[in-house]
Amino acid sequence: MALLKREEWQGFVRDVDWSYRYVDDEAVYPEWMSGTGKVPREAWLAWEESYKVSYPEYVATQREKEAAVYAVKAALQRSSAFDTLTEGWKSATKMHFGGVALVEYAAVLGELKMARFGLAGAWRNMATFGQLDEMRHAAITTFFGHEFVGKDAQYDWTQKTFHTNDWVAISLRNLFDAMINTSNVVDIAIELPLTFETGFTNLQFVALAADALASGDVNFANMISSIQTDEARHSQQGGPTLEILVEHDPARAQWVVDKAFWGSARAFSALTGPAMDYYTPLEHRKQSYREFMEEWIIDQFVHTLEQYGLKKPWYWDEFLRGLDIWHHSLHMGLWFWRPTLWWRPMAAVSPDERAWLVEKYPNWEQVYGDKWDVIIDNVNNNNVEATLPETLPWLCSTCHLPACNATQSRNGTWRVRDVQLDYDGRIYHFCSNGCRQIFWKDRDNVNHQTLIDRFLAGQIQPMDVGGILGYMGLTPEVMGDDPDYEAWTKDYAGRPAEGIAAVAQS
Amino acid sequence: MTDTDVSADLGDQDQAPQLVPLNAIFATDFVQILVPVTTANTMAEVAAAVAYHVEGKRVRALPHPKVVIYHGEKMPAEMTVAEAGLKPLDHVTVEYDIPEGS
Repeated sequence: MALLKREEWQGFVRDVDWSYRYVDDEAVYPEWMSGTGKVPREAWLAWEESYKVSYPEYVATQREKEAAVYAVKAALQRSSAFDTLTEGWKSATKMHFGGVALVEYAAVLGELKMARFGLAGAWRNMATFGQLDEMRHAAITTFFGHEFVGKDAQYDWTQKTFHTNDWVAISLRNLFDAMINTSNVVDIAIELPLTFETGFTNLQFVALAADALASGDVNFANMISSIQTDEARHSQQGGPTLEILVEHDPARAQWVVDKAFWGSARAFSALTGPAMDYYTPLEHRKQSYREFMEEWIIDQFVHTLEQYGLKKPWYWDEFLRGLDIWHHSLHMGLWFWRPTLWWRPMAAVSPDERAWLVEKYPNWEQVYGDKWDVIIDNVNNNNVEATLPETLPWLCSTCHLPACNATQSRNGTWRVRDVQLDYDGRIYHFCSNGCRQIFWKDRDNVNHQTLIDRFLAGQIQPMDVGGILGYMGLTPEVMGDDPDYEAWTKDYAGRPAEGIAAVAQS
Repeated sequence: MTDTDVSADLGDQDQAPQLVPLNAIFATDFVQILVPVTTANTMAEVAAAVAYHVEGKRVRALPHPKVVIYHGEKMPAEMTVAEAGLKPLDHVTVEYDIPEGS
């Protein structure tokens, strides 16, 4: 007897939307988990994924992918490829491993929630594959990072980061707890697979894979390319969900997309921006972060919005202006507060690198050059001490990243302006208008306390730099430092340097 | 107010200084920072406390006096934090007070 074709049987095994006799639908799909809102319950039965797969097909494909990626890893383990990588590129990978490994695990939880509470059998089926994907991603990322722990203790933060109170970890936990752990499945499908994965992981996985290959890190490129091949399938959960939500509640659809895009853009400007425009060696940079954002993120996002009949977010102009600012400021912040990092950030502001930055970002010298020059002059006058932090940067109450977004005045000068909100008896400060608006609209949510909030509440003891580093889990062998001060300061040595800090008397 | 309400009789200057953590930005610096001061500090001392973290470290020092700007107003150098009404988590900007035409 001939086997049935997949399309002849898949509906029977996929669409298991039973009629309940002993409980009502609300008991099985409670609103706080399933989040149907204004959408009629039966409308979800039209949910249909465009790219179908059966379990045997899934297993066969995934087995091939795993075999391929581990074969490359095994072959490279015997080579000395790791030792030839630059410190800048190693930092990009440490940041990726620590920042991503357990986000993949959080994504497992999100997919599991959709696999259980998704409002159609087809959706739950797709989420079941999705959670298997994310489990693979969490495992592969942790395993690949772990390989280097013996060579460099900072790689231990692959697994450790999300278990600490490091400010980068708090920022990412805040984003993904909101996106995944505290959301209902309708919002998750739009925030995680649609906005974050379809919209942004291309940037981290496609762009960074290109930089990895150029930097000679075949293993890393191999790992993230393998991960990326899964995204195309499970990320399609967003489309059908958004289509149904837009039809019945377009205002909610617009808000969920807007919020997720903004939060993702802030996080990527901290992690991917510095990796692409500073840590990747100059000769290996393919495109600037801005160029990648324009080509891979913005065009596609605008196309998606139009496709579903949504508008550009209210913050669009502020977001576009931020492409020249956010990641450059965050790079300077990461570098200045480098003892709080689990990687070794390169300043990467030698004359050649600055020329590249100005070519890509014409305002770069005007906004950042003067401050890097003071830092360079301090290093060249044997005063590295003056380039180390003695207080905390102010952290935004929404994105938990430093409030460091300069905007241009009418007279052409660039200044960081305070964006604050008096609410419920206290003052909140934000990095941007976008973050303030999201905080205001979501003000009934329980947000993580920022590191500033924790410090002022006395949770961090002693209340000094040592106490802060200890609270964040940083130990001396891990604390970040610039791997090569001379590389970016030597061309400026010997120039007159007025107005720099006096060398502290010991 | 009664005769036994001693603390209420004390002026700002007679009370024990209270900690006032501020959100501050120094001139053209790239980031807002946390700067703790007390109610007894003068505006000149607040300006110096903010400048300590930035001046000569990220912003080149200039030979001009520094002034605290709070709610858009330049605050007198001798005024205290208590007198100025600065509250915990308030924002201040510290700028160089550069004479016109210089």
